[in-house]
Amino acid sequence: MSHGAAPGSGAQSNRPVIELARLIEMANQIGDFFAPYPAGPREEGVRNHLRNYWDPRMRAALLAHVHAGGAGLHPHVRAGALLLLESGRERTAYAGPPKA
Amino acid sequence: MPNPRKPERSVVTTCAYCGVGCGFKAETIGGRVVRMIPWKEGKANHGHSCVKGRFAFDYYDHPDRVRKPMVRNRIDEPWREVTWDEAFAHAAAELKRIQATYGSGSVGAVSSSRCTNEEIFLMQKFARVGLRNNNIDNCSRICHSPTQFGLSATLGAGAASQHFDSILQADVILVAGANPTEGHPVFGSLMKRRIREGARLLVIDPRRTETADSPHCRADVHLALRPGTNVAVLDSMAHVIVRERLYDEAFIRARCHWSEFEQWMQLVGDARYAPETVGPEAGLDPEDIRRAARIYAKGPRSTIYYGLGVTEHSQGSTGVMCLGNLALACGMLGREGVGVNPLRGQGNVQGGSCLGSWPHMFTGYRFVTDEAVRKSFEADWKIALDPEPGLRLPNMFDAAVAGTFKAIYIQGEDPVQSDPNQNHIVAAMRSMECVIVQDLYLTETAKFAHVFLPGSSSLEKNGTFTNAERRVSMVRKVVEPLAGLEDWQITVRMINAMGYPLHYDHPSQILDEVARLSPAYQGMSFPLIERLGSVQWPCNADAPEGTEVLHEKQFPRGRANFMLTQYVPTTERTDDRFPLLLTTGRILSQYNVGTQTRRTGNVAWYAEDVLDLHRSDAEARGIQDGDQVTVTSRYGETKLRARISEKMNPGVVYTTFHFAQSKANAVTSDLSDWATNCPEYKVTAVEVAKVPARTEAPQRVPAEAKS
Repeated sequence: MSHGAAPGSGAQSNRPVIELARLIEMANQIGDFFAPYPAGPREEGVRNHLRNYWDPRMRAALLAHVHAGGAGLHPHVRAGALLLLESGRERTAYAGPPKA
Repeated sequence: MPNPRKPERSVVTTCAYCGVGCGFKAETIGGRVVRMIPWKEGKANHGHSCVKGRFAFDYYDHPDRVRKPMVRNRIDEPWREVTWDEAFAHAAAELKRIQATYGSGSVGAVSSSRCTNEEIFLMQKFARVGLRNNNIDNCSRICHSPTQFGLSATLGAGAASQHFDSILQADVILVAGANPTEGHPVFGSLMKRRIREGARLLVIDPRRTETADSPHCRADVHLALRPGTNVAVLDSMAHVIVRERLYDEAFIRARCHWSEFEQWMQLVGDARYAPETVGPEAGLDPEDIRRAARIYAKGPRSTIYYGLGVTEHSQGSTGVMCLGNLALACGMLGREGVGVNPLRGQGNVQGGSCLGSWPHMFTGYRFVTDEAVRKSFEADWKIALDPEPGLRLPNMFDAAVAGTFKAIYIQGEDPVQSDPNQNHIVAAMRSMECVIVQDLYLTETAKFAHVFLPGSSSLEKNGTFTNAERRVSMVRKVVEPLAGLEDWQITVRMINAMGYPLHYDHPSQILDEVARLSPAYQGMSFPLIERLGSVQWPCNADAPEGTEVLHEKQFPRGRANFMLTQYVPTTERTDDRFPLLLTTGRILSQYNVGTQTRRTGNVAWYAEDVLDLHRSDAEARGIQDGDQVTVTSRYGETKLRARISEKMNPGVVYTTFHFAQSKANAVTSDLSDWATNCPEYKVTAVEVAKVPARTEAPQRVPAEAKS
């Protein structure tokens, strides 16, 4: 079968896929859930949720905002988003926050 | 009254209304369905039925049914009837053009829980192999996606732990955010039967529902909480269980992680979750919270049934986790008469969840980011698949408004009526260049469509449904599809038109493919279901005839997990301008957005949506029973007839969303669950005002009314 090369690519502009204010609101809501977890698992919980549930364009827009200072984001949400850039943190079957 | 003519043909099939999934005999004369007889052997209903499944079937050949495919270039043009071939060619050409212009991720699809498992499976296959992305969602996104998330996180399986009949062994029944006697009436009858035998009933619901207070059903404790405080109240029940040491230590040590339990105990044991603190905020007597917690913990067999009153909140997933935590703490899992069970709204919402119609998951709740799982699909389908999660349905609409999402293929869904913040959805629809709607009728959403593919009702196709107790039952063709094709055939043709060759002779081959690729459905097949009548997943080598009760010996991940469920109040608040809280729900005789039931005689029982409110709120506004009122929120406005109701607490108003013209979702917000984006339908701050007699409502007509 001759079905094209890499699927899923192809965003063509720099425009955020969704309005930034909405992404910040959603990211902070995720942060609110993980807030009671101890430092470490807390940031990893945010990272894993973004990694497994967010479209890559949503993650990219959020990371661009973090790099621009991350105004309006909870500190542990900024830290969790930055963990997306680290390799070796992949998990295969993540369904919730990390073990306590 | 003369006896009815003897039917010529009788076909056993499954009702497509609520998640109970009753078995029916559909009987015909001259090729027309004339009656639906509840099937005695149906394991979900044992010969019972409700007024929807029994009487509301004539929607299927209503004159409004569309029987020819149609296209148009712009939504202000009239529809043009075309052949099926032309419709598929046009739709595919548009999708390809848009992807070439705006990128692969600028298009997506959504499947319907009124369609069969096989059809839902094909819709996700359409996105993955036809669109080559993961922009596929299902309508449980806006109802029970928090169930899948919250129960997976705690118990390891996002589905009911019990079969329905298990309730007949329960000593305590906790119903949270659900009204089964109206929403799931056949299950509601089963519950009443157990209550008659002496089971105790706990109800958590802002309204004095029929389940909380009616002749055959009266709650021992009714926690009529303020909408939006579920998590605080459930954590407060946990507080009582922890502080009074009512938990089941042996169960927790054997089946959970003790260290996680201790961490959870520290959170919920904190003074901020004491009933004396939570009670006033939630509008409850602290002693009622204590009584409910003690009764639940004492059991000895306590079971939980819950609905959208738990899930449709900004903390919907957290609320579901609270229920999982409670059951784990008290050892109420893994046997008859206990458990945690979602009551699902649509006939096949469980199937919608199971069949991989998710932007982040394949069948069997396995992540698209999991390389091993993805490779199993790539090997079977012989095509490279997108390794990244796609857009969820609300994300698609947000992206459409942002100008980055341009086309959608909608199977049997009506988001313009059913989704929150209608003005936002309409703006999203208007910004798309190609909307493809596959439905029975020209729905509200079809007003914004460019391609209309006439679908088939569940009386016109073969396949399977999965009900709220994980039971897979047969849907059998009773009459030929009115527009010529069953829905699965339409989607196959769409996939082919996108350039991916695919062929099935019969839906049984699609279920075989599901079984091949999904652990929980491994043993499922049409012959097995034909032989047993119905089969509950998991069905595999360990359980060749299916499984009634989950988690008996161990949880899917071995041990279960306590989750930290901190209460975070919603940002939707009342203030001087919007001092009342609106919550939404359903009524017995109508179903969901009413697309089907409004086209039946059932309108005689409920002809319009009304606004229920407490006498004191009505009197403060000069409103009398039957007055026309405006309901205004920060998001929009609608007009309804007021009904003064003893079921409401002061400060809380309520309506249903069965009728398009009442536009209940013109006022709901676009706030959503933190984990799944499930909309917060259940909490909207509003003001209600009387419409002066014989004058028009204020001219703040929403944009879509002008078209």
